Amino acid sequence: MNAELLMAICGGLVFVFTTYWVSRRQLRVKYALIWMFLACVILILGAFPKILMGLAAWARLSFPAAVLFIALGLIYLFCFSVSISLSRLHQRNLRLTQELALLEERLAEVEGR
Amino acid sequence: MKTANDGAGRILVIVPAYNEEGALAGSVASLLEYAPPADVLVVNDGSSDGTGRVARQLAVEHGRVRVVTLPVNSGIGAAVQTGLMYAGRHGYDLAVQFDADGQHDADYLAALCKPVEAGEVDLCIGSRFLDLSRAEFRSTPLRRLGIRFFSLLITLLCGVRVTDPTSGFRAYGRKAIELFSRTYPDDYPEPESVFWSARNGLRVAEVPVRMFERAGGVSSIRYLNTAYYMIKVTVAIVVDRLRSKEGLGE
Repeated sequence: MNAELLMAICGGLVFVFTTYWVSRRQLRVKYALIWMFLACVILILGAFPKILMGLAAWARLSFPAAVLFIALGLIYLFCFSVSISLSRLHQRNLRLTQELALLEERLAEVEGR
Repeated sequence: MKTANDGAGRILVIVPAYNEEGALAGSVASLLEYAPPADVLVVNDGSSDGTGRVARQLAVEHGRVRVVTLPVNSGIGAAVQTGLMYAGRHGYDLAVQFDADGQHDADYLAALCKPVEAGEVDLCIGSRFLDLSRAEFRSTPLRRLGIRFFSLLITLLCGVRVTDPTSGFRAYGRKAIELFSRTYPDDYPEPESVFWSARNGLRVAEVPVRMFERAGGVSSIRYLNTAYYMIKVTVAIVVDRLRSKEGLGE
């Protein structure tokens, strides 16, 4: 087993896993696209390790350091986008709660309670 | 007060509207001119402009117009699904989706409803590409290419031929109302729901219609969004193909 093969297997697994959760309607296609993009990146880097090596040489980093840098960068981006989605969701949820409370008050008034 | 069955035997026209204050009144007026009386439900999708005000005014002026406002913007699919849920709960046998931006022509409402009313079809799509004898607006060349692509993809993956899978001018029968009330994509829903219907035993058909260029508002599909739209809908359709069938069965 070498690193390239490992990456190819991982990329394939990410693809299958993502598709499975979308087909179960537990994962929105919008977010699945991000993960499928990641799977493609892993697959491409696995198939063409020269890209990663070239990148490492260009940035004057050792191979493991370059891999770590890219991995950390991706993890940062993904986590950050989740935080943003969560904040938006919070905002919507808050507005819905408020609307519901106001509606209930209005209903009570209409019913003369 | 409305009862649970006040819509039986009647048509509900669902008008999803997001920031369409300029075109909404005209679209609804054209619907009200339509001879066999249809009820109109404007679904205001959390608009930030005066759409809500215009819609409420229309409801005050015309007894056949109702308004539902989503407190937060939820996407065209969610708006349409809200309308379908309303149709289901009020016992309507037929619901039509009609855009607020003036693209759709109320003159074709009867033709669109006919196959569904006859009980032959569950989802009837108004297609711009069936009757090519008249020279008229049929979207931009690039968009037509996109529509062609989805048309081909759907035929390839389920064998059903649909010429205008992105059309938002559609009539839903009882079965479609019930099934889509449960699951419906919330953004860019048209091609995906056509595919889902065709695969899950709903009878899908098309009738030729004329469409206009939009009278107001901006298309929800433009520039950078186009790439996302194409990829998202393609992935959604391909994944749906991998799903086991989910229809009600006979």
